[in-house]
Amino acid sequence: MKQLYEVEGKLMRGFVGQITYTICLEEPLRTLDIHFSFDADKRTYRPEDVTDTLIRDTIDTCRRNYDLEITEERARQIILGDMKTEIHTLATLNDEFLGCIHKQLTNRHMRYDGETASEGCIPRATFEGVLKVTVLVFNVIKDDTHYRLCVSGGEGGE
Amino acid sequence: MFKRYELHNHTTESDAGITCRELIDHMLADGVDCFAITDHNTVSGQPIIRKILAEEHLPIACAYGMEYTTYFGHIVCPVLEEYVPWDSINKKKPELLFAAAKRAGAVTGVAHPFSYGDPFARGCRFEMEITDFRDVDYIEIINNPEPLHEVNEPGILWWESLVLSGVKVAACAGMDLHGLDSMAMKFATYAEGEPGGDPVGELKAAVASGRTWVSKGMLVVWEKTGDRVRFTLVDAKKPGFVPSDTYTLTLKTKDGECAYDITAGSADVPLCAIGEAAVPKLYGGEGILENLLCVAPVIRAACL
Repeated sequence: MKQLYEVEGKLMRGFVGQITYTICLEEPLRTLDIHFSFDADKRTYRPEDVTDTLIRDTIDTCRRNYDLEITEERARQIILGDMKTEIHTLATLNDEFLGCIHKQLTNRHMRYDGETASEGCIPRATFEGVLKVTVLVFNVIKDDTHYRLCVSGGEGGE
Repeated sequence: MFKRYELHNHTTESDAGITCRELIDHMLADGVDCFAITDHNTVSGQPIIRKILAEEHLPIACAYGMEYTTYFGHIVCPVLEEYVPWDSINKKKPELLFAAAKRAGAVTGVAHPFSYGDPFARGCRFEMEITDFRDVDYIEIINNPEPLHEVNEPGILWWESLVLSGVKVAACAGMDLHGLDSMAMKFATYAEGEPGGDPVGELKAAVASGRTWVSKGMLVVWEKTGDRVRFTLVDAKKPGFVPSDTYTLTLKTKDGECAYDITAGSADVPLCAIGEAAVPKLYGGEGILENLLCVAPVIRAACL
């Protein structure tokens, strides 16, 4: 397969939203690979990241959003056990749905080979036209979370 | 007859640990009439299940759907056969997405509305502001894995306040299945249907008319007899259902809630107890939330 597009970027802590990359596939392709990865070590908090401020913020959020009173120890458990950087990837071709990866893999592929496709994706025989890859960001817990998107395609047989 | 629906299920096509094949087998083994595939933001499992059901002629129906997983809440669509984009989701105007899904033939529900979101799991709590429920078919008042008091109770109370104030919206339950969890003594959705009838079409009719039951296995139905309303228990024969020694029926109206003993299998209630509208609920034992067995459709006096 030939690399068609590559981009890298950084996400700031707290960002929620989506970033869409549009790639014109001028020649028909039979295989496609949309590869997305982001920093594995910035996906979750480590014990040394748990500051007093973060604990206070977590306690305040639970109180404000859910009328839930939690202890500092429970806040620490939530920070280390529940809070994570959560990013999904979605692809469309000429506005038709190609697939979405919801699994929280830090390194993921949306692969299409004509007859089969990765889980979350719909097999398709050919790819031609306007490919849109959307990075859906639900949560980023650390500044400078680096990501990379790479789109490759081929005419088959690779 | 009543048909049992499992309306909220995931597979490895999104974040579950079970394949489409395993989901089908799990539903078949539990005697489900119709199950939905509702993976997060993808419809990729639909053709896989379609192929298996078509090739093997299995005695079960599938509703092909998806669960919108957005930044501001989840919308579970047990019927949604094409992907309808949600990337312009508007927290203050979610009706636009509900309407777009409905135009594509969807059955739409608000999933686990009071689930905890940030900092536990951003997007799980329904934070969108719905002012027009025309395109909202149902509220998932019980999401089985969620805590009863903290999450499901406010969902039940929200739905009751809506229907008792005249809003037409049905109530459903979901397993939110991500593995091969037991469904014994969990809440399922029931709707009336005909032997040999199309369960998906019957589901659509049921949510449109608000006639869905959320139950662990015992249902309550009613008929008007003169100046009284007779309530009767119906055993749905759900696998693993544990009968109770005593049963309590409650009727919640705008003015309050009354309780009646229905251990004998039926109970007559004066018509005036219904008021303008009432929500019947069935409990095994006394009428406390831990004993809840069934939430029945709202009864509107004008329709009796």
